[in-house]
Amino acid sequence: MKASRFSLTTPGPLIPADVSLVFLKDVTKVYYIGDQEIRALNGISLSIEQGEFVSIIGPSGSGKSTLMHLLGCLDTPSAGHMEICGHDITTANSDQLSDIRNREIGFVFQSFNLLPQLNVLENVEVPMIYTGASASARRSRSEELVERVGLQDRRLNRPTQLSGGQCQRVAIARALVNDPKIVFGDEPTGNLDSATGQLILEMFRELHEAGRTVVLVTHDPKIAAVTHRVIEINDGQIERQYDPRKTAT
Amino acid sequence: MLGIILGVSSLVATLALTAGIEQGSRVFMAQMGGLELVRIVDQEISNENLEFWNLSPGRTLQDAVAIRQSANLISHVSPELQEGLPVSSGTETMRIRVTGAWPDYMGVASNELAAGRFLSDLDGELANRAVVIGHTIAVRMWPNLPADQVVGKTLFLKEVPFEVIGVFIEYMRESERRDAQRNATKPETPVKGRRSGGNWDPFRGKNQAVVIPFSTMFYEFKSGKFPEDSVDTVRLNDFNVRIGDLNSFALALDQVRRVMNQTHRGVDDFGFDTREEWFDNMERNIRGTRISGGLIALISLLVGGIGITNIMLASITERVREIGIRRAVGAKARDIFLQILIESISIALMGGILGVLCGFGLIDLLNRLAPSDNEPFVTIGAVLLSVTFAAVAGIVSGIYPAIQASRLDPIQALRYE
Repeated sequence: MKASRFSLTTPGPLIPADVSLVFLKDVTKVYYIGDQEIRALNGISLSIEQGEFVSIIGPSGSGKSTLMHLLGCLDTPSAGHMEICGHDITTANSDQLSDIRNREIGFVFQSFNLLPQLNVLENVEVPMIYTGASASARRSRSEELVERVGLQDRRLNRPTQLSGGQCQRVAIARALVNDPKIVFGDEPTGNLDSATGQLILEMFRELHEAGRTVVLVTHDPKIAAVTHRVIEINDGQIERQYDPRKTAT
Repeated sequence: MLGIILGVSSLVATLALTAGIEQGSRVFMAQMGGLELVRIVDQEISNENLEFWNLSPGRTLQDAVAIRQSANLISHVSPELQEGLPVSSGTETMRIRVTGAWPDYMGVASNELAAGRFLSDLDGELANRAVVIGHTIAVRMWPNLPADQVVGKTLFLKEVPFEVIGVFIEYMRESERRDAQRNATKPETPVKGRRSGGNWDPFRGKNQAVVIPFSTMFYEFKSGKFPEDSVDTVRLNDFNVRIGDLNSFALALDQVRRVMNQTHRGVDDFGFDTREEWFDNMERNIRGTRISGGLIALISLLVGGIGITNIMLASITERVREIGIRRAVGAKARDIFLQILIESISIALMGGILGVLCGFGLIDLLNRLAPSDNEPFVTIGAVLLSVTFAAVAGIVSGIYPAIQASRLDPIQALRYE
């Protein structure tokens, strides 16, 4: 295995080996639009272990975005039990969720979601602001990550001056800045052409090879095929799970 | 932000103007002798004492000597004799009120000399023919000489030659001083002597002073008038004392009253003319001006604060997505709250600083358009106060938008386009 750019800087998991990184039991999420009840997730049970490379796939409206929001600690379930990195999400308050998002989770979005008024380095630093890190620590860490994603030449540019692929690399650097245990990608190649998409996908694969847990949400079977476990969602339930390497057709 | 600028600048300007007025009236008060100056005046005798009126000698030099010896809370005693006399330098002549006084005349009403010296005890002892004159007299008598170079000249009072030993400074109000300064830069319109405007000039008397020793006054111009034929019994025309320490004002007046009850044999034919009421009025006016100006400024600050609230609310709707992103990468609601609040305070402070600068400009503009009687000046306290008010406006107007921003749901905010 070739040496990866994304080797972990913190050795080993801080949670016991027998505890799943992501653990869901009978999780349900219900939305109300007016009087209408929408069951976005209906009894999902799932666990993801340290170091896995997982994709969540499903057509639009299947509930995969809702699942993504729950896994990303942006939301809490309506019913059921859920733990992320050993933290009980079901009972966590807003501040605790913010802390988990900040320290345990890295997010890469389809539309990059960079802050337009900040340059590349400053964008990468944003999550570190909320850990209370000093300005100099933030700057050296962001310099390091910007270099690892190969954007050192553009580190003072604004997002509007970058191509889509470059933006997504900034987003990946930002996701890694607090050294999270899990990296989530929400359709990370959706706004990119296929060649650039391949490059970004390759980066996620490298992250996984470096030992990080990677979860991708997508509707594209070709992307799912790169991962080691595919979780198919339909109508708010898990339809099936398989390893695309074994069931290659 | 414009509102904050307007508010702060008008606050600074108002404070500067009132500070100018205050300063002006304090200088004025000091030049007029201040609160410490008390005039002892003749007063109508009360009914119980009416039959004894002739027991009292009236205000005489004896009173002055007794007060000086017995009333230790009085720092200066100035008995004065006055007489309207023709005053002449040989070429110019005018009729003017001449004052005979003790050396205490100098200190009792905070007089200052421009040149020469004032009357000494020896001048009084020897009844010297020495005279100290006011600025106006010097200019009128010797139009071709600067006022401070007339020392040593001879001034004839009712054809008696007197040596000019000193000249008082030119007393003027703050506004006149500024006029003079303004005109000094324009040599084609030189100001000669006093401006003869229709305005009441509080310093006219002081600038037209002609002061000679008390004894000289008596012997040259007052003696021989029965029954006041002795320097000790001649009736004083004016009688001023100065209180040494304002803290013991009432006590000092009490001392004077006791002493004069002795010299006047218990007849209450005298009273005190203090300036407390006059000065109190002045202070009250200044305070009134400051409060009304401050209120106007505070209203514009309020309007400015509402403006900031609006700006911040608008910027939040523009930045919902940013807030969503920040929440997604770990910002707590509190972090967002603080961010918006700090931004609003920064805007307000920036407005405050610009406002202070504009305030200076405003003062300058007002000065050019409508020069007031007193030079306005900006105190550090006024600047700090104005900037503090701006910061408070920033906090108050930022709180509501900050609460709104921190309440945004991260998922909704992320989806927002």
